Amino acid sequence: MSATTKYIQNVVRSVKSTLVGMKITGKYLLQKPITVQYPDERLPIPNRYRGIHYLEQEKCILCLACARACPIDCIEMDAIRHGKELEWISFTLDYQKCMFCELCVYPCPKDCIHMGTEYAFVTFDRSEFNLDLLSFKGMAREAKTRMLEAEAKAKAKEEAKLAKAAAAKTAEAPAPPADVPPAGAPPPTPEEAP
Amino acid sequence: MSALALLQSAELGSGTNQINELLAKVKPDFVPGWAVPLTAVMIGVGLVVGLVSVNAMFGTWMERKVSGHIQCRYGPMRAGWHGWLQPLADGVKLLLKEDLVPKGADRVLFVLAPALVLASMLGAMAAFPLSHGFFFADFDMGVFMILALSSTTTIGVVMAGWSSNSKWSLYGSMREAAQVVAYEIPLGISLLVPLMLAGTFNLIEASEAQSGLFGMNWFIFRNPFMLPAFVILFTAILAETKRAPFDLPESESELVAGFMTEYSGIRWSFFFMEEYAAMFLFSAVAAFFFFGGFESPLTHLLPEGSVAHQLAAFLTITVKCFAGIFLMMWVRWTLPRVRIDQVMTLGYKYLTPLALLCVLGAGVWEALIAPLWRS
Repeated sequence: MSATTKYIQNVVRSVKSTLVGMKITGKYLLQKPITVQYPDERLPIPNRYRGIHYLEQEKCILCLACARACPIDCIEMDAIRHGKELEWISFTLDYQKCMFCELCVYPCPKDCIHMGTEYAFVTFDRSEFNLDLLSFKGMAREAKTRMLEAEAKAKAKEEAKLAKAAAAKTAEAPAPPADVPPAGAPPPTPEEAP
Repeated sequence: MSALALLQSAELGSGTNQINELLAKVKPDFVPGWAVPLTAVMIGVGLVVGLVSVNAMFGTWMERKVSGHIQCRYGPMRAGWHGWLQPLADGVKLLLKEDLVPKGADRVLFVLAPALVLASMLGAMAAFPLSHGFFFADFDMGVFMILALSSTTTIGVVMAGWSSNSKWSLYGSMREAAQVVAYEIPLGISLLVPLMLAGTFNLIEASEAQSGLFGMNWFIFRNPFMLPAFVILFTAILAETKRAPFDLPESESELVAGFMTEYSGIRWSFFFMEEYAAMFLFSAVAAFFFFGGFESPLTHLLPEGSVAHQLAAFLTITVKCFAGIFLMMWVRWTLPRVRIDQVMTLGYKYLTPLALLCVLGAGVWEALIAPLWRS
């Protein structure tokens, strides 16, 4: 190949390759961007994503299997047993340590701890990373006490109401005898009739 | 009387500096005569500086949007509609940044370099006419002055690199000094081709030479050697404005922004303004000498000499300039950076001889073949 041919070939090639490259970048320029505007729109999260845990507390039996499985000991739990019932005090997970390995999920005999899909977890204070998983369902000790108190109050109120109704009934005692059946009621059966 | 009719009836004439004439008309008697050109000059300086800074703001935004979309992302989206206020936020940030002169730097040269770079580009911008009647000065050697003053920026770049007392900066400026010789020659030679057709260095006269044919009588369509000349000119412009693939003096990935490594804040933004002003100005040169200048169907339709015609001329040249800037950005995000020896090879072995060939071919065409039907 002579030097002149090579020279011309170089010119043609460089112009051509530039045009081909510009065609490709031009195509991308007109295409819709593949990124998303993050806080406003988010990419779909896969089903088995390992985010912040959530606990199905009513199923949990305080067996500590998850805490034992944790390789960095970031799960701590505490509760008081009343027979079969548990009075929860705390179930905390320290997200400063947690590495989202999902090893706590598998040993659970009741299948009550799961990895969620929430991942953007920001606080202004480190201590807030020690997240209480119970707080979502409100069964901590204070909540329980409050619930029992409310139940007792409601019961007392109900009893007072019943008592009042009974008193009213006794006051209304000399009512007409109920031998006349109300209209539309089925006729009394022979057994029931005195 | 509608506003449009008012605009069209306001006769301005063409070929004279309208700022000067308008000022002379409204001048009270007690103001001395020499105050008129002085005020006109001040207004002109304000216009040039304003044009350079607004162009830099719009250019940075456009650069980020174009590069973003070429890379399948959005670019700035938060400040204003599609991030159009982003350059304002950047400007405030740059003004508030610490103005640092490194220890061991040559303080005088270090401070002087960005000023020289920007000043020479502002001087070159003075030759850019906004429309037929609105210009800073009507230079007979307009394009010559643009070429001369804009290549002065190289001295500023070399000064910046030397005075920074940093190896990155010095490498960057050495590359600029080596590169300038390679591209200035084909830049000048390839411009000779349209200059032959125009017969003038004056930008406004060159634009007027392309009038007719419904505003599409552009030089690029007149001669088969104009297209290769434009390709050569465009390549040389990319090198002159230090844009990729010839951004060797800057090369942020290997030289950490090259000659700008040690600069921060407002001084750094001077270099940036210079880069965008150079892109605008050289796009304008290409538009004036290849793509019809003020001539477009829009300017052709409006009556000559009216205010609307002037506005249409300004709009036309602005659109053409930004089309050129867009083309530069498109090339930047397409081609990787070349090596310094490749720049040399391209400049000396390819662009210069091909530009000379174009001049020869265009001259022969104009002298022998074109008169056959243009008599």
